[in-house]
Amino acid sequence: MRSRLARCATFIALVIAINAQASQRFDRPLPGAHSPRNASYDIEVRLEPGDRTLHGHERIRWRNISANPASELQFHLYWNAWRNAESTWLRERRLGGNTNTPRADAWGSTDITSLRIITPGGVDELTPRLHFISPDDGNTADRTVASVPLPRPVAPNEMLEIEIDWSAKIPRPFARTGYIDNYYFFGQWFPKLGVLEDAGWNTHQFHSGTEFYSDYGVYDVRMTLPRGYIVGASGREVSVGDGPNNMVVHRYQGEDIHDFAWVTSPDYLVRTRPFTHPTLPGVEMRLLLRPDHAGQEDRHFDAAAATLRYYGEWFGPYPYGNLTIVDPGFQSASGGMEYPTLFTAGTRWIAPRHEIDVEEVTIHEAGHQWWYGLVGSNEFEHAWMDEGINQFSEARTDEVAFGSRNFLSRRYFGGVIPWVFNDIRVEREWDEGLAGYRAQAESDAEATPSFRYWPSTGGNITYFKTALWLHTLENWLGWPTLQRAMSTYFDRWKFRHPQPADFFQAIGEAAGRDMTPFFDEVYRGSNTFDYGVQQFTSTPAGKDKFRTTVVARRFGESVFPVDVVTTFNDGSKKSERWDGVERRIIYRYDSTVRARSVAVDPNHVLMLDANYTNNSRTLDSRAGDASLKWSLKWMAWLQDLLVTYASLV
Amino acid sequence: MRPWSDGWRRVISAPVVVAGVFLVTLLAALPLALTLRGMLQDHLGSSLAANDAADGVNYGWWQEFNAQTSGIGTTFTPSVIGFATTLDSVSGLLDRRTVITPIASALALYVAAWMFLSGGIIDRYARGRRVGAHGFFAASGTFFFRFLRLAVAAAAAYWFLFVYVHQWLFARWYVNMTRDIALERTVFFWRVLMYAIFTALLAVTTILFDYAKVRAVVEDRRSMTGALIAAARFIVRHPGRIAGIYALNAAAWVAIVAIWAVVAPGAGGSGVSMWAGLVASQCYILARLIVKLQVLASETAVFQRSLAHWGYAAAPSALRPDPPVVDSISEPRPAPCGPSAAA
Repeated sequence: MRSRLARCATFIALVIAINAQASQRFDRPLPGAHSPRNASYDIEVRLEPGDRTLHGHERIRWRNISANPASELQFHLYWNAWRNAESTWLRERRLGGNTNTPRADAWGSTDITSLRIITPGGVDELTPRLHFISPDDGNTADRTVASVPLPRPVAPNEMLEIEIDWSAKIPRPFARTGYIDNYYFFGQWFPKLGVLEDAGWNTHQFHSGTEFYSDYGVYDVRMTLPRGYIVGASGREVSVGDGPNNMVVHRYQGEDIHDFAWVTSPDYLVRTRPFTHPTLPGVEMRLLLRPDHAGQEDRHFDAAAATLRYYGEWFGPYPYGNLTIVDPGFQSASGGMEYPTLFTAGTRWIAPRHEIDVEEVTIHEAGHQWWYGLVGSNEFEHAWMDEGINQFSEARTDEVAFGSRNFLSRRYFGGVIPWVFNDIRVEREWDEGLAGYRAQAESDAEATPSFRYWPSTGGNITYFKTALWLHTLENWLGWPTLQRAMSTYFDRWKFRHPQPADFFQAIGEAAGRDMTPFFDEVYRGSNTFDYGVQQFTSTPAGKDKFRTTVVARRFGESVFPVDVVTTFNDGSKKSERWDGVERRIIYRYDSTVRARSVAVDPNHVLMLDANYTNNSRTLDSRAGDASLKWSLKWMAWLQDLLVTYASLV
Repeated sequence: MRPWSDGWRRVISAPVVVAGVFLVTLLAALPLALTLRGMLQDHLGSSLAANDAADGVNYGWWQEFNAQTSGIGTTFTPSVIGFATTLDSVSGLLDRRTVITPIASALALYVAAWMFLSGGIIDRYARGRRVGAHGFFAASGTFFFRFLRLAVAAAAAYWFLFVYVHQWLFARWYVNMTRDIALERTVFFWRVLMYAIFTALLAVTTILFDYAKVRAVVEDRRSMTGALIAAARFIVRHPGRIAGIYALNAAAWVAIVAIWAVVAPGAGGSGVSMWAGLVASQCYILARLIVKLQVLASETAVFQRSLAHWGYAAAPSALRPDPPVVDSISEPRPAPCGPSAAA
């Protein structure tokens, strides 16, 4: 009793200590706003399709919400990742195995031509002081982060106005942004301030395996484009008017968002549909659909509506009132990506109804409005906090909303012709990426800053391992407890920048126990879980007596409590709870009937078990039946292949 | 149409040939299938996972197996179910997918078997009458080494098509033509065009070597270079007829495949449905083989109908030497060394 009270007291103290350590001292919302609105952008930009360039002017109203004065400003210039082959991004891409040399017309860049700060005393021209830094890897050829020292420090809570003129060469798509034909997608397209935290500037270089991080504010963006181009953008359109040279100016505004993306092309079908719900706010959904995907409107809207509903019910309401769904151009590399109040989905011209790829990507990217958009975690350092949590949430929504028609499919003939396997319904753990996690379970500990993961394996840890340990928590603690934890975390950290400990705290509070051992295994460690049956016998031991011996074993290095259930021929069961710490445990039973089977973790609570086949044994194995059936099918596949290739003979 | 229907008649009138090639196809696949069965059984062990795998699909176990296996185990994918087998094999061929060594070995042996049997098959179809096993294998043996020489030229031609032409079409031309297209439907039609061009080139090459074989057998040609040239001349002189026959045979192939797409069984269970599925798949393989034989038979019919004596087949029956005992009676020889000789 006393030790339990002491543990609770320690736990509570820990909670209080952690809660006091928000990354920014003054990150509370402004009166009447949802967020601190400490980084607001007024941007005017002109698209020149002829030479594929952007020309922009922006005015940033920035407030230092950290605990310390700021003596410099740091900016992201993401498109410089494609300025030349020696950027950190391209170096890491090569390291990950992609050694393709970009074509001459593929490169992109951003150049700041003027940077000034506006003060009551006048204008300070800071352009000559601008220089590039590489805080992550010291790569002096990388120009994705620029720093400019300030003439005088900006005190905590003090405001600063910054004006920047810049021009950018639009890249052909390397990742997420660029042009193809008359389709343009603009993400990370303007000089953007880094995040000043209490510990200093958090402005990482652009890495091939990670995404972005920025502060909340109000965006007011005027885009000047050729006439006839349809626009989709973050926020809401407030006006459309004539511009110079027969161009058109589209003005969009978004409040309490931390980024702004836009898309434009003359080749779009525009559709709208309202989302309504008895207890959640209404949302106007706007879909920009490629003409060759006409007829797929309902699939996009149904998936987005499912997200708004289930994420809203489980975690918290979507507050913005509008949502733009973009069907990206083919080969644009801009699909499957999230931005505040706008996201890109991705479908195929031939998209069978029982292949729910379009629903999955729509739900995933719409879901990022919660995990990334509203809860603004640091995607450079803790990518799992948006991708992993969202992967779990998406898989859950897929199952609830579209599980009945979620079947495995493969694509043939260069990935074009789909074939749906009506015998194989996709289980939730496959959506959560069990196969991908298993392949690279030990590649990195999740606690490693995401930008330091090995380039080609980070996805499996970030997305899939997180989703699987969340699913494990759901099985272990129960969905009501996990849902309460996640909705508490969402409510506490929306429009703010949480750290991993903040999420763990919410879990611990809801669970009412110290969850440190669990997170030591799944988050701070990179060992695998593998429990199984080492031995199982049930032999006669006298008249009408059987002696059953079960040896359960921990084959992996990670520890988790598991059930061991032995079933007897008369249907009776013996269930044991094993803490899973020792390498093996032995159970012996004397009974009047023979045992039939044993299973470790029969309810599959531990989703991270890398080898579930060894979790059970039976004395009446049907491996012979199964192997015969499948080898005969395989034989027919081989015969088909032989006859096909022999058609040339 | 007449050569085409004549081809069917020749195929139907030689059921042993059909049975023979089916048996060869079965025997080519059986050893590896038995090997895979052992791998699957070992992996399942006495796990309860086998129950779901036997009664339907246990895709969780399947993914574990794929993650832990090697060799032919890596080819055990959902593409083994139903119509996916044909989609996989045809797209694998046209997309130039790499074949792992054990499968390539089985393929090489199967191709060699077809090379051996082709001579006997064409000879049988050309004669239009029973030749018996002796006559069939005699013709197979006679023409095997000629066809081996022809195969060198064929191998070079296909190597050029798959290594160079395929690269030009799909890795350069297709990429360059579609690089700036943001509409998937347009890109799709470009890809269909590439497939059509490549398939047409494969078809022309196959037709050329088919007619070389036909002329080699029907005219008992010893020079395969001459057979190739003669085949090319024949094709140039009768393009419509040859294209028409090829189109009809292709339509038959498409019909067979389309029927399979509809009736192909799914995963099924391990009892009666397993055996029913096996029978269905073997009927499909048999149908594909019959179409392949029809190609040879109709090509033979096309060529023979162009001759002045259209039933002509030149190659004489191969003479089998007398058994040694007959030899020794007809031509007395000195007794071998031994006690009787000494005596």
